[in-house]
Amino acid sequence: MQCKDVELVLEQEGLEPLPKEARAHLAECRDCRNYIADLTSLVDAAKKLPPEITPPDRVWISLRAQLEEEGIIRTPADVIPVEPVSWWQSVSAFFSNRVLATAMVGILIAAAAVFQIRSDRTTRVEPPAQSAAVRPVIAPAKKPVTEPNVAPPTVPQPSGEFDRTARDLNDQEPVATGMILTSTSPIDASLRDNLKKVNEFIAECEKHLKEQPQDELTREYLSAAYQQKAELLSAMIERGRSIN
Amino acid sequence: MCLRMMEMSAAGQGSWWKRSILPVLSAGLFFSSAAPARAAGTVQRVEKQFNVTGRPVVVIHNVANGRIEVKSWKNAQVDVVGTQSSNKIGFEIEQVGDRIDVTAIVLEPTAQPLELEADLQLTVPEETELQLKTETGLIYVEQVVGDMKLESYAGDVHLKEVSGYIIVKTTSGSLVCTQCAGKLDFSSIGGNAQILQPQLNNVNLMTTTGNVLFDGDFVRTGLYSMKSGKGLVEVRFSSTDSFDLKAQTATGVVDNQAVAFLKPDSHGVKHIASKWTHGLFGTVGQGLAKVELSSYSGTIRIMKRD
Repeated sequence: MQCKDVELVLEQEGLEPLPKEARAHLAECRDCRNYIADLTSLVDAAKKLPPEITPPDRVWISLRAQLEEEGIIRTPADVIPVEPVSWWQSVSAFFSNRVLATAMVGILIAAAAVFQIRSDRTTRVEPPAQSAAVRPVIAPAKKPVTEPNVAPPTVPQPSGEFDRTARDLNDQEPVATGMILTSTSPIDASLRDNLKKVNEFIAECEKHLKEQPQDELTREYLSAAYQQKAELLSAMIERGRSIN
Repeated sequence: MCLRMMEMSAAGQGSWWKRSILPVLSAGLFFSSAAPARAAGTVQRVEKQFNVTGRPVVVIHNVANGRIEVKSWKNAQVDVVGTQSSNKIGFEIEQVGDRIDVTAIVLEPTAQPLELEADLQLTVPEETELQLKTETGLIYVEQVVGDMKLESYAGDVHLKEVSGYIIVKTTSGSLVCTQCAGKLDFSSIGGNAQILQPQLNNVNLMTTTGNVLFDGDFVRTGLYSMKSGKGLVEVRFSSTDSFDLKAQTATGVVDNQAVAFLKPDSHGVKHIASKWTHGLFGTVGQGLAKVELSSYSGTIRIMKRD
């Protein structure tokens, strides 16, 4: 069996269980082993992505309305016949490069965290005095768009502003630290040490924000610290994969 | 008496033996035991030269522990010298047009950190773009003009007389930038940043726990942002500088040691610090450049150079 045959098997039968011939080839071929390891990590990482990364329906509704209004799209949209390509071929073609796959795992995690941070910041509820002033600034859509999913404004929870981000990153943390747990390399020690520093800084900012919820400067630092934490975890995972 | 003398003599000879022979034997044993290790970790050297036609792009990824040094010359050539501590690490060097890629790769995953040391010494044309990534070793770049992105986990980055758009990203490594020009972005968690005698017109420095020092002139119309979460942010300016200053800290202190030079803002905009922060606003000279300093809990110090 050749490398391309293994790809074919993967395309048709998925990651596991692999047939005996494919396993025999894997035992001999390091590239294929790496390829499968990459795919497995990618699938694992994808499973761990937070479900909140999907924008709410109202975003799509507003977007569609705006695009229709500008004449960029028409409803019903024309259906363009596309040659059927299996999902596996697309994924396989895109991730055929080990470096790409590695980078993609890191990017997915960092992107999820950054999206989460920005999402948290944009959904932050303004204090009552400011909300009234801010709301009219938002340009009303010319065509009214129903927003069935818009939740009524809730009472601000100052300390919980970054809750989702914190939770997602905290979920990732044991995975990332676990991947370099056994490593005695000075780099990994440095990463662990810096993660500790960032965690301490986050705790300090969170505590301060509980006391001074409208302190924008602290909020900026907290947001930056979460992004740094996301990048650190991503670096740990990337290194962990290269070690293992 | 005689017996006593003999005993003393024997004891004296014994201590002489201990003093003189034992160290020699020990040293011999030490070196003989070290020999196989040195043999296993023989230093190897690789050198390659590449001709280039235009402004080359040099990409280095050093996964090993080691120093990357880049200096310039007048030749239209890129010279790469790599030294490695063992054969458990190797270099992949390739040229594609004016792009030169150098990658240090680990050949034996079970190798010990000491066996994974690889230094790279490059000599490049003065106008060269760089993209360097290393883990622990120092990155040193001198007299290179061009955009550069330099990344390191724990290694420091030292730049001297470089110019262009410079991006430096470290986890705990520090930056020392001497006589740099152009635009500089630095971000780090634990690293410090020292900007000395710069000619930079756009500066963004951000570190979570490290310190920031800017000692030099602010270019007119330049934009400068320097932030540290918990560290010291110190700016030393000269009396001929011209800039607007905005310094803010959440729980730290603003230490203004240049009261005589810092005037209230002369542009008609009245700045008021947020009630949750400690702030300082002012103008030096005509206020042509814009300088923003901030910290979460660290000290911000503003002082005039002698």
